[in-house]
Amino acid sequence: MTRQRISVAKEFPTMQRICSGVIGFGSADTAWRRGRRLSVAGSIVVAFVASGCGTGMVAGPAPNYEVARALREKLSSATEGGDAKEESPQGTGWATLKGRFVFVGTPGAAKALVVDKDTQVCSKDGMKLYDRSLIVDESTKGLANVVLFLRNSSRVKNEVSTDPLVFDQKNCEFLTPVFAGRVGQPVDVKNSDPIGHNTNIAGASFNQLIPAGDSTIFTPGRETGLPVTVTCNIHPWMKAYAVFREDGYVAVTAADGSFTIPDLPAGEPLEFQVWHERSTGRSGAVSLERPELKWNAKGRFRIELKENEVKDLGVLEVSADAIRG
Amino acid sequence: MEYLTVNTLSVESGTSTRPSSRWEDFASAGCGRSHPGKTWAFSGAGEGETGDSRRSLRTTGQMTGLRGPSHGRGGRPAATGWWAGVLASLMLPLLGTGCGQTAAASYRLNLVESAKQQLKPEQEQQVANILAALFGTPDEPFAPAECGLDEAKLKLAAGPVRSDIVGRKNGLYREHCAHCHGVTGDGMGPTAAFLNPYPRDYRPGVFKFKSTERADKPTHADLVMVLRNGLAGSSMPSFALLSDAKIESLAEYVKYLSMRGEVELALMRAFFELDDEDQGKLPEDRDFLIDEIVMPVAESWQAAEDALIDVPEMPADIDMAASIAKGKELFYGNKANCVKCHGVTGLGDGQVNDYDDWNKVVVQAYKTVEGSLEQAGETSTWNMDADEAAEHRAELAWLDRYQRVLDGNALPPRTIRPRNLREGVYRGGMRPLDLYYRIHAGINGAPMPAAKGTVPPEDIWHIVNYIRSLPYDFNGTLGVDRPMMARDRL
Repeated sequence: MTRQRISVAKEFPTMQRICSGVIGFGSADTAWRRGRRLSVAGSIVVAFVASGCGTGMVAGPAPNYEVARALREKLSSATEGGDAKEESPQGTGWATLKGRFVFVGTPGAAKALVVDKDTQVCSKDGMKLYDRSLIVDESTKGLANVVLFLRNSSRVKNEVSTDPLVFDQKNCEFLTPVFAGRVGQPVDVKNSDPIGHNTNIAGASFNQLIPAGDSTIFTPGRETGLPVTVTCNIHPWMKAYAVFREDGYVAVTAADGSFTIPDLPAGEPLEFQVWHERSTGRSGAVSLERPELKWNAKGRFRIELKENEVKDLGVLEVSADAIRG
Repeated sequence: MEYLTVNTLSVESGTSTRPSSRWEDFASAGCGRSHPGKTWAFSGAGEGETGDSRRSLRTTGQMTGLRGPSHGRGGRPAATGWWAGVLASLMLPLLGTGCGQTAAASYRLNLVESAKQQLKPEQEQQVANILAALFGTPDEPFAPAECGLDEAKLKLAAGPVRSDIVGRKNGLYREHCAHCHGVTGDGMGPTAAFLNPYPRDYRPGVFKFKSTERADKPTHADLVMVLRNGLAGSSMPSFALLSDAKIESLAEYVKYLSMRGEVELALMRAFFELDDEDQGKLPEDRDFLIDEIVMPVAESWQAAEDALIDVPEMPADIDMAASIAKGKELFYGNKANCVKCHGVTGLGDGQVNDYDDWNKVVVQAYKTVEGSLEQAGETSTWNMDADEAAEHRAELAWLDRYQRVLDGNALPPRTIRPRNLREGVYRGGMRPLDLYYRIHAGINGAPMPAAKGTVPPEDIWHIVNYIRSLPYDFNGTLGVDRPMMARDRL
């Protein structure tokens, strides 16, 4: 093994800062060199500056112990909840929400992925794999793989199905770039390739070996907030997202950008979260200018549906500058 | 590290039960990121970590008369320059004589997560307050009853190193663990940067070497075993010389720090889930803090004891040569696929660009910062209105702090190496059973996937037998000719 040359400036940015702090002038680099030259003076100073020398660490706030003590007392004395929470109004019946996301602008050409393993399968016959983080339908301008889900539901119409959903991989690609499932509903994680894969779902502590042509069942045990990544450690270019919701009120837009969420609770306020992998919003939150929906910066909008209503939000336009890169 | 102990004791003797933080200074300094020769001889200050932390939860009233020395700790900018050095050098003898009261140890906030979640200063403050309420301080640990932790064991492990009235040693965590794992259990003690692999950061609540399924916590016995045996091939030593009671107490304390860290992460992530009506403030009632935040963490630890992997015994009359041959077939085959990461040589050179989950957090954070900075650099500001400009400035300020947090409060990310299977050194133990656990459940937090479900138990035993034969495969009879030569390729 060849030893790597260690650049102090690169490997020890903190040290660099200490030194520039101690010497007190010049850029970090020159300070370091000057520090070497003034090694005697420098080391004496270093030894003595000790207590005042910043280590480059950012300090967080210290707890306010008065507040903490009061809170601890409150938590230990309070009996089971205050139940002071007002129940949100409940409606009756069910309704459907639909709409269509379109991309306004010209999406750049998708980047080809670096495929350097199992090339006999993964780049068979000169096949190329492309980055799928932004898929815009050419004719309809539809934006695919936008995720919408209901944040909290007071009631749920359909029971959790025991029929497994399928999450497959073929040609060294996850076939579903953004996968939506429901807590408790089994997912058949398949591998339709002649080579082995592993499927690693972040946050779920699920990382399973899937032999060639085999499959295994994953049953999500808890909700994800925003979608989490799904990767294959053997083939690092493979990437997908998964979102699992307790109530199953979740949709991923189709190739034409359309979505439909049926059987939503009607007659009560609903709040939806919207997400896209490349959105510039925080953690991928998609925010649109739709004041009537009170669409906020966290990518959430509110709506109330009438019983048996099929509400169409129409065309939801995502502009090019709301998409990263 | 000897002088540290001396230092601790000297301050101790002057102040009886007053907790000393010379040690904590060191432990919280993050000077581990610096060059050894330079920072060796002093206790760098954890910037701004003092402040209110001088006061403890229970003794606020009694402590108000005590003042820490103003020896330049806490948030002094590094570039104060020469005169500060001279001033400090004049003051050092004073400090040395022990006349100063130093601040009590304090926990460090998980600023990497906080920056990722874009928490505001008042939100960070709220997290710090809630954590102090739920878990106390390093000197006075506390845990909600729901956590099911043994307070007596925690007491023995917590606080500065000292002997109690009957001569029993206290402060075991800081005596044995904090220099690597940090007072907060963030794996960032002062020695951390010099170690490879880095010491475990307990805060995500993920542990590698255990007898439970991948997604489950380790059992208490698993933690005790790691403490007793150490982790071969890493810097984690064996603590077998400590009494059972001490090891018990340390295992309990590790659970405590881990629960605390997980609760901290859950609190920080909960801000995103808030409704607009909450106005960016977490509710401070039992329903939320205990039922929603603490309980899931506590329950996952309690469930571990019932989540043991069911291991069928290896048949006693197994034909070992045939089993090894079968194991080899599996190792190289498409079913178990070990070869992809551990390499055709078994030297662990198959997949060398991957990160474990702890390092991945930092790698991804750097990517976010770099990507956003690039984007921000391309944004023209000339036609922005006042609101947009303010937003833009806030974004830049956030990115600047994020970067400083990553540089200063995280260790430089390192790739993870799949185990070299020809050395016969296995972190989680060398018993066939230990290897079975690793293959069956994979290694949580690491890329190693679980074979459970897709590889039947008898095949896992074959792989175990093959793995165990590899260190003795000197002449390449098992497949690869002259494996030692393969090292040159690395």
